[in-house]
Amino acid sequence: MDTGKDRPDRKVRVDRRTLLKAAGATSAVLGLSGLGLSGYQAGRDPDSYTGCEGLQGSAQDFDRKRFAVDRPHYEKVGPTRRADGRTEVIFSRVGVARSAAQKGTKIEDLDEPFKSYYEQHPEDFEFDKQNSELRRKVAEDSPENKNRYILAEAWADAMGAVSPRPIGNDPPETSDFPRQGSHSPFKMKDPAATAKLIKKVSYEFGTVLVGITKLNPDWVYKYPSSRRGFARDEPIEVPKHWEYAIVVGTPMSWDPMYANPTYGTSNDAYSKSRIVAFRLASFIKRLGYAARPHTPGNSYDLMVPPIMVDAGLGEQGRHSIVITPELGCNFRPAVVTTNLPMATDKPIAFGVQEFCKTCKICAEQCPSGAISKGDKEVVRGYRRYRLHSSKCFNFWNSKHGSMGCRVCIAACPYTRKSNWVHKTALQVTANDPTGVSHKLLTGMQKRFYPGPEPSDFYAATLGGKNASYREPPWWLKTEDFIEL
Amino acid sequence: MSFFEGGLFWFVEGLLAALAIVALRTWAQDKGIRMSFWKWPMVVVWVLFLGVSIAYVGTSIGEGEMDAAFLGAICGAVMASISGVVVWRLLRM
Repeated sequence: MDTGKDRPDRKVRVDRRTLLKAAGATSAVLGLSGLGLSGYQAGRDPDSYTGCEGLQGSAQDFDRKRFAVDRPHYEKVGPTRRADGRTEVIFSRVGVARSAAQKGTKIEDLDEPFKSYYEQHPEDFEFDKQNSELRRKVAEDSPENKNRYILAEAWADAMGAVSPRPIGNDPPETSDFPRQGSHSPFKMKDPAATAKLIKKVSYEFGTVLVGITKLNPDWVYKYPSSRRGFARDEPIEVPKHWEYAIVVGTPMSWDPMYANPTYGTSNDAYSKSRIVAFRLASFIKRLGYAARPHTPGNSYDLMVPPIMVDAGLGEQGRHSIVITPELGCNFRPAVVTTNLPMATDKPIAFGVQEFCKTCKICAEQCPSGAISKGDKEVVRGYRRYRLHSSKCFNFWNSKHGSMGCRVCIAACPYTRKSNWVHKTALQVTANDPTGVSHKLLTGMQKRFYPGPEPSDFYAATLGGKNASYREPPWWLKTEDFIEL
Repeated sequence: MSFFEGGLFWFVEGLLAALAIVALRTWAQDKGIRMSFWKWPMVVVWVLFLGVSIAYVGTSIGEGEMDAAFLGAICGAVMASISGVVVWRLLRM
């Protein structure tokens, strides 16, 4: 008879060792999963955006002191020449070429200085003449293609709707100084303290990055690109009160920037940078000193990128844009020239020159082929990468959306979100003297973060696919909001 | 700030890591593997590599970079598998 006494004991015994092993295995799985989820959060976190969310200077967090150098990276190799703002700034000369295209005018019949410029650069004449025709062809694109960018264009226009009153036509000896009858300049106690004050108020005015340098007169245009108190065809004598240059500015909003060339706009950052510069100039004038804003939208009397380099904000990349450690090249600067005495910043070197030698992603992605894939050349006495501005501007007129391209900004490996992946890559490249990491990371960038074919960026009527570097954000997808 | 950014998350991760280490020691003893001064760092490095790979995949998905996430997962899995076999063989020495 089965009394149950001989039945095997059905109680499951779990010894401590087994329990410990199981708990450990579970912990390992949970821990690793947590890392994945943490990574996901780091990737999508709005705080990691290096767009215009940086507030009150918290975005300017790269340790520049470690990378400060005594001389900027650009090399002076011979007699230097200041740029002619009438001809070497594309916006200033392109109207002449367009008019020549309409009337059939030849180079030899143009007025100076355009005749001399195009005689030296006949290729630019051919490119510049094409603008109007390119715009016309883009306008012939299908309504379905054109209407896709209604929201992006509305946003771009809105961002440009607010602008400070431009500087009038009084000469800088008048317009740069406080109004007559104002008090004389306050005696500032200490240049270092003044620099700290100027940087603090610049952050308050809305800048994301700020740097201060002495102004190198080589960076001032020889002839003005736009009338701002200068006579059009008279050389600019660099005013004595343009002693210092303060660089301020903001980045473009991340998601539209990443969907360039069609959905992005320069206007969002331009308008903010303009406002910062004008506020700062007003502040300095109230201290009794001269101040003059030089702002995007072709209201410059000087070249900004080398001033940014001098002020320690970054290094100029292959695409001619200055790459900053915090924002990559997504930074649209403005400059305020002044005679307010301040301590200045040192230039920095954090590996960009070495990286750009091997990377070339901007040149490979450039729809117009304007970015050089070769070595640096001598431009006006300085060794630097040459940018073909006529080719670049032609592409601006070969696509839909707001004026400008900005594909090089989106494609640059330095223009990345501020999370642990890209911050680690930045620190590795900045601290690697051998260049081994540059090649490895460039290879990863090309394979892991590919972009469209350069020809795809063109409008459909010019053989392209109206491609953008990445998909637009939800709020710029016209088809989701408007009956088309 | 989300839970995954705060100190509490890393405290929990630390507890889980401690538990996993104790369990690993117990498991190694049961398998007759004698853990020595060089085996511990080797295992830790391997686990860190695995963790960084998983975190990279998560970050790329969060950024919307699916190509990077996919390639990162493939490369991470391959490298972790190959190195895992090497680590296992070395552990049994």
